[in-house]
Amino acid sequence: MKTSIKALTTAIAISSAVPGMLLAEDTVKIGALHDLTGSFNIYGIQQSEALKLAVKKVNEDGGVNGEKVEVIEYDTQSDDARYTQYANTLIIRDQVAAMFGGLASSSREAVRPVAHQNETIYFYSALYEGGVCDKYTFLTGVTPSQQLGVMLKWAKEEYGDKVYVVAPDYNFGTISAHWVNEYAEEYGLEVVGEDFLPVSQSDFSSTLQQIQTSEPDFVVALPVGSRQTSFYEQFSAAGLKDRIGIISTNYGSGNQQVVVSANAGEGIVASQNYFQVVDTESNSEFLEMWEAEYGEISDPIISEANDTWNAVMLWAEAANSAGSSESDAVIDQLLNGVELDSPEGKIKSLPSNHLMHQVYLVEGDSNHSFNVITKYEDVMPEYEQSVCNLLEDPSVSRQFSPGS
Amino acid sequence: MIKGENKKEQSMDFAQITFTGLTTLSSISILLIATLGLAVIFGMMGVINLAHGEFIMLGAFVTLFSTQAGVPFVLSLGLSFVALAIYGAVIEYIIIRHLYGRLFDTLLATWGIGLVMYQGAILLFGSYTSGIGLPAGTIGIGKYTMSSYFGILILVSVILTATVYLIFVKTKYGVMSRAAIQNPQMAGSIGIPTKKINTITFSFGSGLAGLAGGLLVPAFPATPDMGVAFVSKAFLAVVTAGPMIISGAVTTLIGVGGVSSISGIIFTSVIGDVVFFTITILILRFFPTGVSGGWHGKL
Repeated sequence: MKTSIKALTTAIAISSAVPGMLLAEDTVKIGALHDLTGSFNIYGIQQSEALKLAVKKVNEDGGVNGEKVEVIEYDTQSDDARYTQYANTLIIRDQVAAMFGGLASSSREAVRPVAHQNETIYFYSALYEGGVCDKYTFLTGVTPSQQLGVMLKWAKEEYGDKVYVVAPDYNFGTISAHWVNEYAEEYGLEVVGEDFLPVSQSDFSSTLQQIQTSEPDFVVALPVGSRQTSFYEQFSAAGLKDRIGIISTNYGSGNQQVVVSANAGEGIVASQNYFQVVDTESNSEFLEMWEAEYGEISDPIISEANDTWNAVMLWAEAANSAGSSESDAVIDQLLNGVELDSPEGKIKSLPSNHLMHQVYLVEGDSNHSFNVITKYEDVMPEYEQSVCNLLEDPSVSRQFSPGS
Repeated sequence: MIKGENKKEQSMDFAQITFTGLTTLSSISILLIATLGLAVIFGMMGVINLAHGEFIMLGAFVTLFSTQAGVPFVLSLGLSFVALAIYGAVIEYIIIRHLYGRLFDTLLATWGIGLVMYQGAILLFGSYTSGIGLPAGTIGIGKYTMSSYFGILILVSVILTATVYLIFVKTKYGVMSRAAIQNPQMAGSIGIPTKKINTITFSFGSGLAGLAGGLLVPAFPATPDMGVAFVSKAFLAVVTAGPMIISGAVTTLIGVGGVSSISGIIFTSVIGDVVFFTITILILRFFPTGVSGGWHGKL
């Protein structure tokens, strides 16, 4: 004990004695956890590219408090256990100032307690089912209260009152379906049926028959992963698209519009905070930088890339205005509102550790892409804001869900 | 007035019941198409090919790419069969033949082959590939419609199963291959070239997996993990089939797949899956040698 204190004071003495010498090599380290292999790499690879691009931009603009940002990245292999393992490695061994990454909600829930325990800020950058309230976890993705509300209102006008929900059988799907029910009640819609799909399912004949029996005006479809993507193909081929509308909060987030045939993709309506076709000045700059770094864009840029870019930018902005990259100092800035111009448009951090977003309602075209129907400006995560205020109560660490 | 209303309701019920039958048949036929290759290799060689799902995936990509290159769909299916048959023969020659009679070693080896193929596909083809999509056209009963392609798959599955059955029952190769699995030493001593027969069988089973991939790719977009969706049920069907592998697997799929599909329609998809696995477990508990354990037949 005595020796270690002695060693520490010696170290401090040395480092304060020669500040100029160290400055040249000083960096601030951030950690990245991305699924570069396994079934979630369709998201993870772009998240990783977006993070590195953002860090490059930050460094070009002078770094964070005069220090260059250095990335330490681990491939989490689409495996939740790796998230726990590498989050610990990043904090204990690499001593990073902040962590970024994660795709599946289960992977976020693997990192969140590690971040909380070690009081290190963690940015999660994907659309999700909403409700997480934790001082050390900041969520840059869009939530159901930002997507579903506006979309269901629009669908009621466009298609009618009767809705059918098709969702995957895990927390994202079941909580999202719960949200559909909540909004249905609010807007006077009738939920005529629900089906929850096992993640491995790819033959949807039974579901399609159930849909036809309940005769909805439109379907809220939330399939996840490459196998469930065939739902859109089969829905269209069964002739249902001609008489039943189809809307989704996650269609496009994994480039499903590229995978399904042009016929099946045409007319599917989706809502998110970012699509590559979004027409903002900052998005054209973002895409230009992307092409300069990685060459011509072959797979469309997904919302998770925008969300990751925003996470890095928010962190750098907050750390610069705090004058420190200490987690608590950064969080303090974020809770009090950091505003940025981002590829999706204006974003602002909120006391619920979520973002105010621009939300785009888009429709699939016949060429594997989207047309923007409407833009909803400055959409607040109403639900998260109503249950979570980390300025008032910073000790909360849980995920709220409707009815809980 | 009342009479008319009654009539309308009855005809609706009729449409619903008929359509349920059609939906169920289509689900069974998809499983059957995906299972045949696995059943042939297991039944004729005693090898469980854990890379079966990846073989299906590779077949799907062959059909996808050749269709996109302008080859007619039906010819592309032929290409898938031939390409995977050759691939299977090579795999058998290099790896499988050294592991005969060592069930766990073949399991491990084929699992490894599957992993290599899966990651290889991600590297080669990327994670997003545009599908060819289902041909237009629907079959309708009352207010219900389904893709006509699923109707075609029902017919194809019947023809395919009958062909495989006849090949193993009626041809000289079929008789020799059944002899080779029933009593390898006796078969060898009467001059049946068991090694050659095994290579042909593995190649044929692989070709069937490739054909399955080609047949399924319009409805199930080609992605590196597309095969995984079918194999767990295919494995269970093959294991519960028992010694009469083809007729056993068909029976299992009609029975278990049928009940599971119907419960999926009445309740939810998750319950449909639960029913499938529960019945399979019950069958194995009460018929440990498989459904065809006490049957007298050829295949």
